[in-house]
Amino acid sequence: MIMRTRLCRSLALAAAVPLVLAACGANGASGDGEKTFTVWWYEDAGNPQDAAWQDALEEFKAAHPDVKVHFERKVWQQIQDAGAMILNSNDAPDLLEYNKGNATAGAVASKGLLTDLSDEVSSRGWDEIAGSALTVGSYDSAGLMGPGKIYGVPSYGEYVGFYYNKDMFAANGVQVPTTMDELEAAFDAFKSKGITPLAESAGDYPAQHLLWGLSLANADQDWLKGYFGLAEPLDTSSDSPLTQAAETMADWSSQGYLDPKSSGLKAEDAWAQFRSGQAPITYAGTWMVNDFKDTITDFEWGQFLMPGSGLNPGSGGNIWVVPTKADSKDLAYDFIDLTMDQTRQDLMANAGGIALDADPSAISDPTGKMVNQTFSELAESDDLGLYGDWPVPNFYQVIQSNTQTLVAGSQTPEQFMEQLATAYDQVQSTVQ
Amino acid sequence: MTTSAAVHREARPGPPPPKAGEKGYAPYLIPGALGFLVVVLVPFVMNIAISFTSWSGIGTPSFVGLENYQRLIHDQMFWSAFEHSIWFIVAMAVVPTALGLFLAAVLFDYIEPRFGQRASSSLRAGLYLPQVLPVAVAGVVWGWILNPYGAINAVLEQLGVEDPPNWLGDTSWALPSVMAVLVWMQLGYGLVIFMAGMARIDPQFHEAAELDGASWLGRFRHITVPEMRPEIFVVLLTTTIAALKVFGPVYVLTKGGPGDATNVPSFYSYSNFFGSLQVGYGAAVATILTLVVILLAVVFIKIQSKTEGAQ
Amino acid sequence: MTLTKEASATTAVARRSRPKLRRGPAADRDSRRRSRRGLTHWIVLALLALATLLSLFPFFLAAINAIKTAEDYTAHGPLALPRSFDLSAITDFWQNVDYTNKLINSVLISGGVAIFGTVISLFNAFALGIGRIKARRALLVLLLLATTIPQEALIYPLYYMANETGLYDTKLVVVIISSVLSSAFGTYLLASVLSSFPKEILEAARMDGASRWQVLRLVVVPVIWPTLTVLMTFFFIWTWNDFFLPLIMLTSNENQTASVALGSLQGQYTSSPTSLAAASLMGILPAVAFFLIFQRTLTRGAVAGAVK
Repeated sequence: MIMRTRLCRSLALAAAVPLVLAACGANGASGDGEKTFTVWWYEDAGNPQDAAWQDALEEFKAAHPDVKVHFERKVWQQIQDAGAMILNSNDAPDLLEYNKGNATAGAVASKGLLTDLSDEVSSRGWDEIAGSALTVGSYDSAGLMGPGKIYGVPSYGEYVGFYYNKDMFAANGVQVPTTMDELEAAFDAFKSKGITPLAESAGDYPAQHLLWGLSLANADQDWLKGYFGLAEPLDTSSDSPLTQAAETMADWSSQGYLDPKSSGLKAEDAWAQFRSGQAPITYAGTWMVNDFKDTITDFEWGQFLMPGSGLNPGSGGNIWVVPTKADSKDLAYDFIDLTMDQTRQDLMANAGGIALDADPSAISDPTGKMVNQTFSELAESDDLGLYGDWPVPNFYQVIQSNTQTLVAGSQTPEQFMEQLATAYDQVQSTVQ
Repeated sequence: MTTSAAVHREARPGPPPPKAGEKGYAPYLIPGALGFLVVVLVPFVMNIAISFTSWSGIGTPSFVGLENYQRLIHDQMFWSAFEHSIWFIVAMAVVPTALGLFLAAVLFDYIEPRFGQRASSSLRAGLYLPQVLPVAVAGVVWGWILNPYGAINAVLEQLGVEDPPNWLGDTSWALPSVMAVLVWMQLGYGLVIFMAGMARIDPQFHEAAELDGASWLGRFRHITVPEMRPEIFVVLLTTTIAALKVFGPVYVLTKGGPGDATNVPSFYSYSNFFGSLQVGYGAAVATILTLVVILLAVVFIKIQSKTEGAQ
Repeated sequence: MTLTKEASATTAVARRSRPKLRRGPAADRDSRRRSRRGLTHWIVLALLALATLLSLFPFFLAAINAIKTAEDYTAHGPLALPRSFDLSAITDFWQNVDYTNKLINSVLISGGVAIFGTVISLFNAFALGIGRIKARRALLVLLLLATTIPQEALIYPLYYMANETGLYDTKLVVVIISSVLSSAFGTYLLASVLSSFPKEILEAARMDGASRWQVLRLVVVPVIWPTLTVLMTFFFIWTWNDFFLPLIMLTSNENQTASVALGSLQGQYTSSPTSLAAASLMGILPAVAFFLIFQRTLTRGAVAGAVK
């Protein structure tokens, strides 16, 4: 008896579940005649971009009272992995934040899944606001970033630089370096006192950003264009900026300026070392600036860029894209307008984010002032050097695991360059 | 089963039971067959078709014939990744099965009779819990433990070890470290299956053996292990398949690094599907991977059927 | 009717007769060694308890970091005991991702898969393990295809099929796919167990005129109930933690699951370890609860007495 009822109960439940699920599973369909606007982004709740865009959302609702506004905060991994599939389905939103790069935005642009925004960009003045940062939204017919049609619009910026502990510098009599020699001297000063100067993580992305920063220090715009354009196989000679950067990293690691054991550390561990005052210098992206601002209470900290370098890692931020299958494209353009206007840009800057066109006099937050000024200088002099893993899909993985062994000392710079060349050339050979 | 079954057969004369026709059982296969067709077979065939194309996942694929397979044969990274699979099989199949079986017997046959069900259930729950923790979190926490300045090294330094290893960042230590974490993760799976299975064994066998003076270990070897054969096969095969397909834990711990040290075939497959958008090539990798695993499965099942037949 | 009574009677008898060890004449001879034996028991227990505690250490680490404030974590690192108590990271996360909704989705989906997957496995295994259909070996290998194929190989075709049938972005499609994929393992496990099912019981039932359905329901299921609960527990937990399938198949946030919601704490460059630890510990509570409830049935209903 007991067994029968138990089994029957289970089966009844089993039958009920799909009914419930089918009822719950209906995908959102708008009512007829009702205008809707769906926008997605994946910025962390409360970060500068999110703050500015939430404000834009409020303004949008006020300006379009007849429109049903639907916002969803997505998970970065989902847009990264399933972005193409979403854009290809009928569930695509009207506007979404998208990852910049050949493997993401470029790929879907070349498949016709994104609306060409070139006309809107010029007619609404977004190109003037974004300036050279607009590159991250510009892709050619093969999906390569560069001169071509504009498929995405950045509304904020980012760059990578050195952040340092002012108190520790003062305590050890170290000045902010202006040349590479001075930088290494500064490292030495700390090392001689038994302090590992650089908080790094070679088990995660920070080390490869440092590598790229070092490469840009020795590079010029021509090399950059060739590198991103996949013009020819990767130059692995000792003249190549990339080779020189690898040699410097290996050298610094063997000298102990950065910890060889950082090959076993995650990014978070590196930031923890900097925050707690264990290491005086770190090389971080501006996405960490707010975190530093909130969590570092024990000491004063500041910023300096790669000494003696014109180019610097950095770019426009993630881009707004309008799917080809979007219903309300005009509303999408209106929203982009709002995120690009002075109010939102200033808001972002004051929250510690990097606006593309904030009014310097309107920024009261000192951190915001610092990063915005730096970025606008870089953007104006066309010194945004983008990121080294962009030309080739999955290059991020290759560079990461090889930088890991380079820093750990189990691979030479030559071997490192060979590994990179294999992956780079494999894709380069298919692009003509 | 053998003793009392034999006794029963002799004790019951009379006409043989009606032959249960095969056809009568076929309807029970329909739901499973339908699901399998739609969810597995059709997509797999489509996957094989895709492996003959060059495709980025959207738009129209372009036919390239055997090009992907030719490239795969020469792909160093893929085949070297398979080497690591052997080690992962040890870490995810061999050790957890053997250890799990032993611990299950200890918990079921030694702890439970002496200390009660609550004790053995709590211990089992504690050993199974690693299976429940999301892989992402496990990665973060094990990172804290295996970090060169983490928990383990802190303890080692207290014990006087001078320069403890960089567990996840050193090419020679990364693979063993990942293996250890995998054992931790996999142990509970076999443990629970074996303990459920041990409830099947007639307690009289154990009692009879004990009355004859058999030691605990003797009973384990001669009663428990043979009785558990179906479960042992299942656990071994499924954990081996899992080892060949392992991806999540490796990814969160080392991302396949340092260098190539912990690269696994399925990470390679995944990065082609979603990283580099070479879906055609990824499909070829997946097809070959599947074929290797199927071959193994066939061998396994053949062996298992033979031993079942003998019983 | 006789069948049911006997079956439940024998299981009851078997349950009651799971003995604390009865000492026979041979054991009495060892009574002199009783005191040493007693010590061995405790040593074994202690060793096992230690092993279990070590196994739980990562959970402990996650727990102490889940309640720390960000400052505490920054100042003292992840290995230090908490000097603060702050659940604001959890409450923020909960509100930001509407975690209640995600948990409900996860429960529905995991529960659905637990039930469906087990039922499909049971039916398959009944036919293969007891029915002994010809070519069952080949069918089992074919079935194992489902577990050997990497999920990413199946996902593009499944995505296109789901898109065409309008099932894309529904919980139902995730339940169907996961149930079928899980049932491959379930079928294999149950078929193996059912192959060594005592034939006498089946024959006795058939002799009593029971139909196949009655045999399944009244004889087989009670006997393998422990294994069935193991299966349901596994399916629930595996589906609960599945990240990939919901990530690809469920686009809208209202259908999303708890495991994917956790992903919101890990951006491209940033992650919040304390929030992640807190959110995931909360996230696994239903799965742990499920396991603890079901493990009570795992040791009951010993089968063997039924042979009598």
